[in-house]
Amino acid sequence: MINTALQRLDRSARLLAPFVVSVILVLLSALPVYVPGYGQIAVDVGLVTVFYWAIYRPDLFPAVAAFALGLWQDILVGSLIGLHALILLLANWAIVSQRTFFQGKAFGVIWWSFSLVALIAAIASWVIVCALNTTLISPVAALFQAALTIGAFPFMAWFLARVQHAVLRPIDFDV
Amino acid sequence: MRALLNRFALLFLILSAFAIMLLGKAETVAVERVRSGVVDLVAPIMDGLSRPIATVSTGVDRIENFFSVYQENERLRKQNARLLEWQSAALALAAENSTFRKMLNFVPERGAAFSAARVIGDSGGVFVRSVLINAGAATGIERGDAVVSGEGLVGRVAEAGLQSARVLLITDLNSRIPVVSEKGRVRAILSGDNSAQPKLAFLPPNARLNLGDRIVTSGHGGVFPAGLPVGTISSVDDGVIRVSPFAEFDLLEYVRIITEFPGEVAGQIVPSTARPSRMK
Repeated sequence: MINTALQRLDRSARLLAPFVVSVILVLLSALPVYVPGYGQIAVDVGLVTVFYWAIYRPDLFPAVAAFALGLWQDILVGSLIGLHALILLLANWAIVSQRTFFQGKAFGVIWWSFSLVALIAAIASWVIVCALNTTLISPVAALFQAALTIGAFPFMAWFLARVQHAVLRPIDFDV
Repeated sequence: MRALLNRFALLFLILSAFAIMLLGKAETVAVERVRSGVVDLVAPIMDGLSRPIATVSTGVDRIENFFSVYQENERLRKQNARLLEWQSAALALAAENSTFRKMLNFVPERGAAFSAARVIGDSGGVFVRSVLINAGAATGIERGDAVVSGEGLVGRVAEAGLQSARVLLITDLNSRIPVVSEKGRVRAILSGDNSAQPKLAFLPPNARLNLGDRIVTSGHGGVFPAGLPVGTISSVDDGVIRVSPFAEFDLLEYVRIITEFPGEVAGQIVPSTARPSRMK
């Protein structure tokens, strides 16, 4: 009896892993690093994780999770609250709806698609911030961030793949 | 049926995101409470995690410094000689000042109260310039308090939780600070635009300002103490005057928060978009 209860607990913990790992990564990305200028163009960790899980495990990363992760990011980095929530939500929706396209595609194609998503996300958030502040601000930082995030994608995807294999594989077999 | 429900849920979430954004923009108290409440909860974790990073950064600095010890020493010698001259001048002035005060029966002003805090969160956003600190209302920090580093004004407290607070830097898009030039006493509003060098707005016509002029807080409105060093005028371009701040925002590790100062207007709530409405 106890054994099955524990097993069930273990299973749910593993199913929560994609979200929990994303939450921790976003927290780490908000820490000060003392590199001049980096804070403003720091890698958009939330976008990478949302993209990754939307392609590989959308069943474990629903729209609500993307929304919650975005709010979490907004609260930690002090950005306009709701901005990342909206962007991540839309990114999640866009990728999940194109899921059949991504199935079995090479990593190059996925990286390229991510670049597109990151660029659109940067432009969209720039437009929203400009509109809400009713001023034109420089989009350079947003584009820099997108470039940096695109560059960091392979490394983060590798890490997330490790997490996926280590944590989710065991339960995929015993379903 | 399920697809319809899913679509409805998505629409609902999108609308909520927009609603939250508008509420956040209007600085609704509830949104702010939730925000500072959540940050309060994770502040101890961020505090712990940011320490090793700071240690590594200090270590790298030390190694860098090691190679410039000789030049640094020369520079400090010269500075020391200069400062000694200033010290004797200051001592003479202090003595003179106290004599005058005695003659006038001058009542000394109450001193300012400070509170110190560590920076535990970077401004990780593209569109915001702010940092998170590990002290809040529990140590007397309130919304609107001025925040300074060793070099000069850093910003002001935008949200204060119990154990944490968010500091809006003077470079942020929403930062407006009444300032004055130290020499000509020209008043202006230092207005951030997310660039490294905020600009001076609402200058009087024919204002006399020169490159390199020191800019300090004017204390108008009673929100900030007067005379806090802010920066120097670094460029005049097409009538846009920009100020290079003294504070090094990228290397902030500790800051001081001015919780009380003589002449403070008590209980004043400072809107973050404090645009001077009376100026026309």
